Amino acid sequence: MPNKMKKYTLLLPALVFLFIFFLLPILSTIVESVYQPQKGWVVGKYLQFFTQRVSRIAYTRSLTISLLVTIVALAIGYPSAMAIVSVPNDSLKSLLMTLVVFPLMTNPVARTFSWLAVLGREGMINNLLLSLRLIDSPRRFLYTPGAVFFGLLQLFLPLMIISLVSALENLPKEVPLAAKSLGANAFNLFTRIYIPLTVEGIVAGSTLVFTGCITAYVTPAVLGGSRVLMLSTLLYQKTSVTLDWGMATVIAVVMLLTTLVVNYLSRKISTLGVSKG
Amino acid sequence: MKINRWLIFSLVIAFIILLGPFLVIFFASFEPSSTLRFPPTGFTLSWFKKVIAMPMFQKSFVFSLQLALYSSFLSLLLGVPVAYVTARYDFKGKRLVEFATTLPVIIPGMVAGLALLRFFVLLNVFSVQTTLLIGHTAIVLPYVVRSTLASLVNLPVSVEEAAQSLGASPLKSFFLVVLPNIRVGIISAFIMTFITSFNNVPISLFLTGPGVNTLPIVMMTYMEYYYNPSIAALSTLLIGATLAVVLLVQKIFGISKLL
Repeated sequence: MPNKMKKYTLLLPALVFLFIFFLLPILSTIVESVYQPQKGWVVGKYLQFFTQRVSRIAYTRSLTISLLVTIVALAIGYPSAMAIVSVPNDSLKSLLMTLVVFPLMTNPVARTFSWLAVLGREGMINNLLLSLRLIDSPRRFLYTPGAVFFGLLQLFLPLMIISLVSALENLPKEVPLAAKSLGANAFNLFTRIYIPLTVEGIVAGSTLVFTGCITAYVTPAVLGGSRVLMLSTLLYQKTSVTLDWGMATVIAVVMLLTTLVVNYLSRKISTLGVSKG
Repeated sequence: MKINRWLIFSLVIAFIILLGPFLVIFFASFEPSSTLRFPPTGFTLSWFKKVIAMPMFQKSFVFSLQLALYSSFLSLLLGVPVAYVTARYDFKGKRLVEFATTLPVIIPGMVAGLALLRFFVLLNVFSVQTTLLIGHTAIVLPYVVRSTLASLVNLPVSVEEAAQSLGASPLKSFFLVVLPNIRVGIISAFIMTFITSFNNVPISLFLTGPGVNTLPIVMMTYMEYYYNPSIAALSTLLIGATLAVVLLVQKIFGISKLL
């Protein structure tokens, strides 16, 4: 019994801390978005969220851009992860992984600001296109969905590559060799060996990228601004500019539910893949 | 085995997207004129000198460092015991504990930021500094538990049992035997929490107040009003420092320890 007590006293500080300063504020925010002591049940803000143009556009834009980033990250990340895994030299492999991780560890404002020098009026792309005479006056690339897309791709590609590298490293080297010796061509090898055997990594990486994009703030704020409002930037605008706290809370709950649903679905897909395999 | 050239090609594309912008901003920070431009029209270090001398950046940089340091220590104090108990014992509610300590990475930062702001405004007892410390500690706590847990799982229980059978008290065996053996986990947890807190925007965005600002928030506010290479110079400094840290970590104990 005393030993048991000791265990719980070691756990207590962290659990009390997380309960009071994390769980409680979040639960009360969720509850307040549907029920307020003075007013009773309130669902008007939810109706507003789904009927107002601004919020509907921001939500569908967030979903679309996140989906696109996920697909492109997978398309670039999968072969890149295969290339990294096939590097025979261990120290080179570890250096490559370090460089992949590096953007994740970089200050988000500094990382996003870098894109202003790439996409800005006097930036690299405009100057390149001008010098090639493909355009005769600078174009606006900033504050477009495309700018947000590239910013998010840089930010979340590392997560995809990391997930896929660990999935590919768990794949026994003999399996693709055996398939090849039995006559599988590159297409068959990829669709019938690699993809089914790394489905967990694919799902895990895609989930991280998608939910990351849905919730990212700095990238859409700096590269999209108020022209390309997304869920997170709309949320902040509601608390800082229009001071519509009710709507901000609703946006936060929608964001949270979206990420939870995506996480739940991906777990389903993952277990399905495993039981089939 | 021959490496397919399509794989190499896609890896090159990946690195252009990942690292290309960093190279561009590096060169753009030497631009003499006051516009953000690539390629630069000349070479000057004046933006670096200017940005280092600006009080708003100095002040918020120091504050961000302090905040990162304090929240890292606090999260270690709270998180290491949790990792120890979950690694060594089976008990009722273990899964609940594991869930609770991963919660801050599941909940989106913006959601947590808004919720904490509402909560602390309602509570109205803590200073801005304290609310920031609490918020940052909560969001970095999962990294401590995960990293320490990974180290503890690799340390055989028999080591501790040996120490205790030779007369060491549980407390003594923890500090003299367990802690030195999981130091890599603790150090990587510290690096991870420090970087995460130092770079955090979503929590700080909501919780900073008048006169109390973290570096990323000050940078974002500054960018709204000024469009000159000073932020480019500051970004170059931060990116360079991060690169140094990551390469150092890789050299000393492998980058995989951070993930």
